[in-house]
Amino acid sequence: MRTLALIGLACGVSVHGLCGQVTANVEAGITHVQYDGFLASGAASISPTMRWQHPAGRGFLSARGTYLQFQSGRRSLDGSANGSWFTPLARHWRGELGVAAGASDYASIASFSHGQIDARLHVMDEDRGGWLAATLGRSSFGGGPRPVTVLAVGAWLLRDDKTMFLSLDRSFIGDTAYTDLRSSAQWRRARIVLEGVVGARVWSRGGGRGVFGEGSATLTLGRQAALVLSAGRYPTDVVSGSLAGRYVTAAVRLGTITIRRPPLPALPTNPHASGSNGSSSMETRLEIRAQQDDEVQLTLFAPGATAVEISGDFTDWRPVPLRRNPASADAWVASFRISKGLHRINVRRDGGPWMAPGGTTRSADDYDGEVGVFVLP
Amino acid sequence: MMLAALLLVTQVAVQDPRLERLDPDTRVAVAAVVDSAHGVGLPVEPIIQRALEGVTKGASGARIVAAVRRLAVDLGTARTALGTSAAEAELEAAVAALRAGATPDVLANLRDVRRPPLTIALAVLADLVASGVPADSAAAAVLALAPKARDADLVEFRRAVERDITLGAPPGAATSVRLNAGAFDAPGTSSTQGNPNTPRRRSRP
Repeated sequence: MRTLALIGLACGVSVHGLCGQVTANVEAGITHVQYDGFLASGAASISPTMRWQHPAGRGFLSARGTYLQFQSGRRSLDGSANGSWFTPLARHWRGELGVAAGASDYASIASFSHGQIDARLHVMDEDRGGWLAATLGRSSFGGGPRPVTVLAVGAWLLRDDKTMFLSLDRSFIGDTAYTDLRSSAQWRRARIVLEGVVGARVWSRGGGRGVFGEGSATLTLGRQAALVLSAGRYPTDVVSGSLAGRYVTAAVRLGTITIRRPPLPALPTNPHASGSNGSSSMETRLEIRAQQDDEVQLTLFAPGATAVEISGDFTDWRPVPLRRNPASADAWVASFRISKGLHRINVRRDGGPWMAPGGTTRSADDYDGEVGVFVLP
Repeated sequence: MMLAALLLVTQVAVQDPRLERLDPDTRVAVAAVVDSAHGVGLPVEPIIQRALEGVTKGASGARIVAAVRRLAVDLGTARTALGTSAAEAELEAAVAALRAGATPDVLANLRDVRRPPLTIALAVLADLVASGVPADSAAAAVLALAPKARDADLVEFRRAVERDITLGAPPGAATSVRLNAGAFDAPGTSSTQGNPNTPRRRSRP
């Protein structure tokens, strides 16, 4: 964690290019949990997370902590960190080497710690793939450490906005051994992510057995906030020392969450590029609608503007004033003949500077400014 | 000879009345670039547009000339990578991709694995990089998808990455997840446990 914090600090002061690859957030919530063999209890939780991604996508480092305060007054503290390095994609293959370590403590009564090394081989096609993995490590609960070995195989399938997984892993922790069969699905749309996991623990010796399932819903609330609702039952994780239990949790996540506007109809423009990083998007937003032939209607939303002009390669870079939409005081419209292909555009409001409008991909323009880029397919 | 050359480039400038918006010295220099590009078969419209853009933005003549020269060079690089049959829109999109960080080799590979037009694929590549995805990761993703994916699929892929980034994923990871899915998102893996950007079991006690 200290190392990650230093990386984050270094990014903040000196390596701007890496900063986009650092994310951090804090999740605070309330939960109702019943661990197997214990009474149900309410708890408040706070969980900070930090992650650094290699700028070239070759690996990541991640750290996470969780503090739980139970109704009884007891508390639980958990921290973990892991990282992975990926080999370059070689046709359909990619290797991964990872390390992980963690420790937890419940009311100074029970303490766990573990460390492990993972090797993983991924095979992937356009919308499906799988992996083979082997893990070696140590896990400690009070007494001497116990060896950990995990062998896993899995497959995934991507369909539009849904992702489905199936995995089978066999774990050996000292004298304990068990096999988990797991299937999960994830569905994403706009600001909502729904996810479900079902599984079964079988062929168990000392690790418990039975079925489990969890579900979660994440709703992005604002620029840096999301609401997370989750519930379910999960099995004992002998490696990290988490007890099997049932839970319902509501939490708020605060951190590096950014708002994007929905994609524009029929156009592969990039709302992010000019939407969340620049002031221009706070002032203007462009919608592009192809009509008949090469006729294209441009609608610029510019709240508070009294005059709006547009300029682009389809106007030979001559400023053209837009007319206010009678139906919406903030919307300004005009129609142009625009051919298919890549186009560059700028807008300005009230005679101010030329800007790249939100709803286009923002790019440097060769003249110390920015230009919006969009494609008409 | 010098006079003949001057007359030649001046003729190009005169031929396109839009260049009248440039001051005389800049017009001659830009016309020379346009003529040179025309001579080697490069599209001249993007070059003229770049000059006009500079005029509208009040750029100095020197900046305009430097911009059109740079664009001409980039168009040449793009044409070399994509081949002489590349359309103007493809070349413009390729220039955007090159400036985003894609290498000519990536463009050439894309040409080899995907049927034209490549405009959308190149635009998606540039978009991904603009979103913060590392250039080599973006290139790998587009190249992996290019052989089979339709233009609409590529656009949807880019949107999916956008959604992932919206939810807090680092751009590089979002691309890898969307491309490889299992590599970062497989449940029960070490990667999942360490990925702070997936909501999975985040709130489990």
